[in-house]
Amino acid sequence: MDQDAARLLFSLDAALARWLAAARMRLGQIQMETLPPPQAGFRLRHHDDAGRPHEELALFTGGADDAVELARYDDAGNYRPLKTAPNLRHGWRLEALPDLPALRRALDAFYPARLGALLAFENGRLPVTPLRETLARQTGMYRITQKLTDAQADALVGRFCRSDGGCLRTILWRRDLAGTPASSHLPPEKFEPAFDQTGHGETRSLPLLCQEACNLLVAEARAVIKGERTAAAASAVDC
Amino acid sequence: MQERGGLAREKRGKTQKKNPAEISRFFASFAGYLLRVIPKLDAALLIVGHGSTVNPDSSAPSLAHAATIRRRGLFAEVACVFWKEEPALRDWPLLFPDPTIHDIFVVPNFISEGYFTQTIIPRELELTGDLTERDFPAGQRWHYCPPVGNHPAMTELLLQRAREVAPGVPERETSLLIVGHGTGLNDNSAVAAKQQVAAIAALDRYAAVLSTYMEEPPHIADWAKLTDTPNVVVVPFFISDGLHSYQDIPVLLGLEPEPTAAASQQAVFRQNPRHLHGRALYYASAIGTEPRFADIILEQTAALALA
Repeated sequence: MDQDAARLLFSLDAALARWLAAARMRLGQIQMETLPPPQAGFRLRHHDDAGRPHEELALFTGGADDAVELARYDDAGNYRPLKTAPNLRHGWRLEALPDLPALRRALDAFYPARLGALLAFENGRLPVTPLRETLARQTGMYRITQKLTDAQADALVGRFCRSDGGCLRTILWRRDLAGTPASSHLPPEKFEPAFDQTGHGETRSLPLLCQEACNLLVAEARAVIKGERTAAAASAVDC
Repeated sequence: MQERGGLAREKRGKTQKKNPAEISRFFASFAGYLLRVIPKLDAALLIVGHGSTVNPDSSAPSLAHAATIRRRGLFAEVACVFWKEEPALRDWPLLFPDPTIHDIFVVPNFISEGYFTQTIIPRELELTGDLTERDFPAGQRWHYCPPVGNHPAMTELLLQRAREVAPGVPERETSLLIVGHGTGLNDNSAVAAKQQVAAIAALDRYAAVLSTYMEEPPHIADWAKLTDTPNVVVVPFFISDGLHSYQDIPVLLGLEPEPTAAASQQAVFRQNPRHLHGRALYYASAIGTEPRFADIILEQTAALALA
C-alpha cells in the first residue's frame, strides 16, 4: 500500500467524510448538521434539542475548547468523569466549525478517542482486551481487583455499564480469554455496534465502541471487593 | 525499565571559565529553544496527565498546555491521555493513525519520577524504554520523555509562585514549605520536592525551606510545629488545583474544616493570608497551572534527545 492510500485508510478526517456522506450524523448524544451557505461548515447540538428553535439554544463558537467545557458538566452542574455517560447537558449549539478537522476535534472533545476507535474497528485493527487481562495488569491499590469473582464481575458490569444511566458505549471486550460475555445482565444489543445505545432507534448512528474496561470500572471493581458499593465510596477512589 | 537520570543542575558559581555542566545546559537550552520554534510535522506530542473522577480541574492544565502548543502549529497532532479520564492511557493505539506521523513524544505532566512515570505510564502505553518502536502503527517511534517536574526551571517557578502569593512579605521572616504528594508505592515520589527544597535553601533567601507531604512525614498537617517564623508560605508542588492541592491540603493546613467545592466551582479563589496558630499563612495555587509549563513540556522532548 502506498503512503497516500494508507493515509486515506487511516485518516480520521477522511473517515468522517465517508460517514457524513452516508448520512451518519449521530454520535452518542450529539447530532451533527451540515450548514448551508453562507454559513457552511458544521453545527453540533444535543440530539434531544434537534427539534428546538436555534434561538433557544446558547450559541458557542469556540470549537474544541468550548466542546471540552460543554462536556465537563451535566444539566445539574455535576462533573462528568465519564464522557460516554448518557448525561450530556442540553440547551447549546456549537457552530463555527468550518471544516472536517474542526468538526473532528470538537467530536473528539465530547467523546475522546471514540472516532479513532470506530475507524480502527472498521479497519479491523481495534485491539480488544478481556476484563481479566485488564485486572491482571493492575498494581498498587488496584491489584486487589484480581480477586473479583466471576459472579461479582457479572453483576458489576451489568450495573455499571448499562446504557440506561451508565454508559453509552458498545462493549466489544469479553470477560476472559475463553470468550465469556462481559455480563449476562446486559441485553444482546449492548454488544452490537449497529444498535443505537441511546434508545432512540437511530439506525445510522456512529457507535461509541468500548475496546477495554475503563479505569472507572476498575475503580468500581475495587470498591466491590472492599465492600464499598455505594456511589459515594466508589467516587472517593481517585489515585 | 531503566531509571532515567535527572537533567544537569545549573551551577551557580561565579567562575569565569564555563564548566561542562554549564556548556551542557547551554546546549539543552538552545535545543529547547529550537524545539519551541521549529515545526515537526511528521511528529506528534502526547501529554500524559493524571486526571480525576471527582474533580473537574485536575485535567485542566494538561488540556490548556496542549491547546497552547497546538495553536503554535509545531506538531502534526497534539493530544492528551489520562489515568482517570478520557482519552485513557489505553486509548494510545487510536490517537495517531496517520501514517505520515513517525515520531510520538510522550511527556508526563507529572511532578516527579515515581510510581506513575515508572510503572503506570510505561505499562499502560506499552513502552519498553526511552524509545519504543511499534509494529502498528507501522514504524512509529514513541519517545518517552522526562516528567515536567524534572525541568531545571522548576526552582525558579516555585520561587516565583512564593513571591506572588506573599508580595512584600520579608523572606527572612518567612518559612517556605514545598508540599508534595509522597507515597509508599515508590521511593522516588518525594525526591523531586526534596531536590527543589535543597536548591531553594542554597539560595539562602528564606528563614527556612522545608519539603512536606500529604502521605508521608514530614506531614503538611504539622506545618505549625515544623516552622517558627511569623510568615509561612506553602506552595503545592502539584500539577493542578485539583483534588489534592485545592480540596485536601487546605483541610490539612486548617484553612477549611472539610473539603470545599472544586476551584472552578467556587466564586472566588482563596484569600491570602489566613491567620492561624499566630502566623500569617499564605497558600499558593499549584505550580502546574503556570502557563510556562507549555514551554517546559516542549523542552522535555529536547531533554530526551540530549540525555
